[in-house]
Amino acid sequence: MIKFESISHSYKNKNVVDNLNLQIEANKLTCLLGSSGSGKTTILRLIAGLEIPQSGNIFIDKKLVTENEKLIVPPNKRNIGFIFQDLALWPHFTVYKNIAFGLTERKEKDIDKTVFKILEYFGLKEHADKYPHQLSGGQKQLVAISRSLVLKPKILLMDEPLANLDVKLKRKILDHIKNLKENFNLTIIYVTHDHKEAFTIADKIIVIENGKIEADGTREQIKNSKNEFVKYFLEY
Amino acid sequence: MNNNIKFINFFNGHKFFAAVYLFFFLFIILPVFYIFANTFLFDNSLVSNIKQLDKNTFLLLLNSSIVAFVVSLFATFIGSVLGFLLYKTNLKYKGFFKILFLIPLLISPYILAVAWKDFFSVFFQNAKIISSYFGVVLVQVFIYTPLAMIIVGNAFTNIDAHLEESGLLITNVKDVILKIELPLIKPAIFSSFVLIFIFTISGFSVPAFFGIRVFTTEIFTQFSAFYNHSLAILQSFLLVAVCVFLLLTESKYISNASFLSVGSKGTNKKLFPSNNTHILFLTIWFLISVILPFITLVVQSFSKGTSDIIKAFDLLESAVGNSIGFALLASALIVIVGFVAAYYSNTQTKSSSNFFDWSLLIVFTIPSIVFGIALIKFYNRVVFNFIYSGYAIIVIAYVGKFSFIASKIIGNAIKQIPQSLDEAAQIEGISFYSRIKNILLPLILPGIFASFIIGFIFSFGELGTTIMVYPPGKEIMPIKVFTIMANAPLALTSSMTLIVLSVTIFMIAILYSVSKIFMKNYGFYND
Amino acid sequence: MKTILSVISILLIIFINGCSNNRNEVVVYTSVDQVFSEPVLKDFEQQTGIKVKALYDTEETKSTGVLNRIIAEKNNPQCDLFWSGDPVRAIVLKNKNISFPYNSKDAEDINPVYRDPENYWTGFSARARVLIYNKKLLEEKDVPQSVFDLTNKKLKGKFAIANPLFGTTTFHIAALFTLLGDEKAKQFLADLKKNKVVIATSNGDVKKRVMQGEVFCGLTDTDDAFEAAKEDTNIGFVFLDQNGIGSLVIPNTVNLIKKSPNQNNAKLLFDFLLSKKTEAKLAKLCAQMPLHKGVQVPKDVPSLDNIVPMKINFDETATELEKIQPFLKKWLNN
Repeated sequence: MIKFESISHSYKNKNVVDNLNLQIEANKLTCLLGSSGSGKTTILRLIAGLEIPQSGNIFIDKKLVTENEKLIVPPNKRNIGFIFQDLALWPHFTVYKNIAFGLTERKEKDIDKTVFKILEYFGLKEHADKYPHQLSGGQKQLVAISRSLVLKPKILLMDEPLANLDVKLKRKILDHIKNLKENFNLTIIYVTHDHKEAFTIADKIIVIENGKIEADGTREQIKNSKNEFVKYFLEY
Repeated sequence: MNNNIKFINFFNGHKFFAAVYLFFFLFIILPVFYIFANTFLFDNSLVSNIKQLDKNTFLLLLNSSIVAFVVSLFATFIGSVLGFLLYKTNLKYKGFFKILFLIPLLISPYILAVAWKDFFSVFFQNAKIISSYFGVVLVQVFIYTPLAMIIVGNAFTNIDAHLEESGLLITNVKDVILKIELPLIKPAIFSSFVLIFIFTISGFSVPAFFGIRVFTTEIFTQFSAFYNHSLAILQSFLLVAVCVFLLLTESKYISNASFLSVGSKGTNKKLFPSNNTHILFLTIWFLISVILPFITLVVQSFSKGTSDIIKAFDLLESAVGNSIGFALLASALIVIVGFVAAYYSNTQTKSSSNFFDWSLLIVFTIPSIVFGIALIKFYNRVVFNFIYSGYAIIVIAYVGKFSFIASKIIGNAIKQIPQSLDEAAQIEGISFYSRIKNILLPLILPGIFASFIIGFIFSFGELGTTIMVYPPGKEIMPIKVFTIMANAPLALTSSMTLIVLSVTIFMIAILYSVSKIFMKNYGFYND
Repeated sequence: MKTILSVISILLIIFINGCSNNRNEVVVYTSVDQVFSEPVLKDFEQQTGIKVKALYDTEETKSTGVLNRIIAEKNNPQCDLFWSGDPVRAIVLKNKNISFPYNSKDAEDINPVYRDPENYWTGFSARARVLIYNKKLLEEKDVPQSVFDLTNKKLKGKFAIANPLFGTTTFHIAALFTLLGDEKAKQFLADLKKNKVVIATSNGDVKKRVMQGEVFCGLTDTDDAFEAAKEDTNIGFVFLDQNGIGSLVIPNTVNLIKKSPNQNNAKLLFDFLLSKKTEAKLAKLCAQMPLHKGVQVPKDVPSLDNIVPMKINFDETATELEKIQPFLKKWLNN
């Protein structure tokens, strides 16, 4: 579904991603696993069209979306949802408005119905009139996910979504995320540095280090990988 | 992608932004370029004028730079302290003090200089102390400290409480302020420094009044005594070069730093408790910077009873409406231009300086009289009569002079907003203008209002360029004060100044109240 | 989009509001203080029904702002008539080919000394350079009677002159150069510096410093001196060098600007300003001395008949002024 062909991207003269070739299958939950600074977030941003690589091509559903420093399909036309690391909830909008805003702009019908349906799905109905700063960490997380899901993306990008949550909450949200793929017919790309998270939910894991793929495969394949870096990474 | 191509692509793709940029370029930049081009390319006296830029010229420029540096340093420091006390503590009646502390900024620099000299004459029987570099620095610090107060204070408002609270768990309040808060608002502090530096170095009236020779005295002399416009413009170019160098230094130092500090609004704003030391500092500063010159003006105004104040009312009555109208219109345009420039600089380009920024800076920096001459030489043509002989020329002058300030203040506000908020909206397919209207603008409202109010203050009191271009028969308050001042009793001049001051304060109080209503809706206020 | 268009339309309407309306008007730029010139111009308006659009100079721009504007506007003049407080600026306009000659019938009985020989400018209502002094600080017997007395050590650091690069002070010094010659004049200025002359920003500032007691005395013009004496009975003034070179008499001047939009009305205003009525008014307002004979003036206004004037040629003095300015700049800054 998503294909990177010889993608290179640098930031302030430092190579973040170097001649990367990558394939992500449709309707699967793929984890990009790696340490901080390995290039995982950059890959997500390249998929979303928020960064433009210095060289290489990106395909989504066999359609060329980025080609050698040229953005062919802008982010809003890629049918993508993005859960940012800082969640990027609009602080001056209520929960309801955070979720409804995209629908309003697209002039969708039955906005109320759609918003309350998803709020109910995540158990957030009674928080509809609250502002983000009035919510708990887990609630914010779910609002961010809801906001993306109401627009029916085909691809959901999640950048370390559980970084600030406690174990119990992580479990709860991971369960939600696991179900998203089936219930919403999504391709999910999930970035994390926590291999336990990856092993809980991923159909496929790609281990990244210094902008290069160290290993990719199923959970079992990664667990049994002979790659020195992967072995070292999984030790902790 | 090459920055120039980015620039063209961006403005090509966003018509409103392009229209604003074109307006600024055609109406304001072009006259300045025209006059510089004439001086450098078509003037036969260029070579002989360049020869006159001798060692003394550069020494004078250095001298003026040092004075400006000292003023900026003190004004920014004191302004930052005031900004903290008035925007980050739970002091009572803060709103009231925020307006009162603006008073020195609202009084024309020349008149403030006169008031201070009179104060020293009356109370110390000796005006020599103040007719010196000390006086030049003192008066200009009083004038520009409120500017730093507004800029830095607004930046303090935007800091997320969590960032401070996480610090308070580790260290004391003083360290949190010095090591967490101040670094977060570095752009605001630097902007404040740069703006005050430019104001000081390109200002003329205060040093001239105290008999201190500065670089702009030289420019004024060339214009007015020698009628050597070309040399004056050449000298202005040097002034611009100094300011450009300063701006380059600022952008290099600031550009890589992270200043994202906007979190949730409303109750997540941290206010520190005030104490007696704070109150003492505010009281002392209030007495010295506001009460003393104000009392001097009041005493002078009423020295012969109320006859002078009544006469002053009569003289200024016809000019009030015009002055307020032009200043309000100009402020709106200043905010629009400043926003467009700031938006492009802070969101579309990794380099924090571009042609638009430099244009704003150049027009801001060149001495008012030079800008005035540029506008005359460009607009004084039959085809532009509808601009030159009407009110438009005055509004153009204001917008040209002060858009740079707005771009700095708004730019600092934009820097504090995480890019992810806009990116999240982009991905949702929210249109460009909708993102600006619904996401960005509400979050930078304090910066927008601060720019509007500052734009109003400066436009309302602007004299140097306005005197060169205002159409005959049209009355504007500061011009009226200064033309009457030429041979009016001191009491009348002081009365007129008091009235101008009162009108300004009244307008600012209204603007503050309006801004408060707007910002409450977006959870900016909890005082 | 609609909002943007409405805003732009409103702005355009406001901009276009500046269109000139082809009314019966005259545009006058004047370096004479507004408190004195405005009443005269209002009289003209009332008498003729012609709207006067006036531009005044400010204290800050040292009476050079409007002149610079006329020069800058020369390719498309907005100003019809320039009313100056001294002949120097009128001569500048003549030399820059911005004004044109006009021989007003109201100028017939004005002494040719106070007129341009080619009628590019005409003088009326004169001021004179005087010394104002603070009676509390300077006894009558110690008041200088000559400009050269200012080099007396008794006055060291206690007398003021306005910035010699601007206004009537420049003219005064240029006149001294014309009379004394370069060497003596430069020596005089050097002696002033040695005697720690205080340089004020303007004649108004000289007046103020004397009134506040910062200095004992200072050189200024009769209108400033008159105002000061009216405001404070402790202020007196003298006409210097009445037994010597005489006092510099500085007439107001008018010139007409080439290619200006309202030349007929400008000529009417020109004539009005030269009239005895105007001179009477200016005598009353600011003690300016009429150049016409037989003008009614208040008792306390001096008469030119009683003053020994400096015998100078204004054109020569204006040329000298241009010559000495670089020297004056150096003198001022050292």
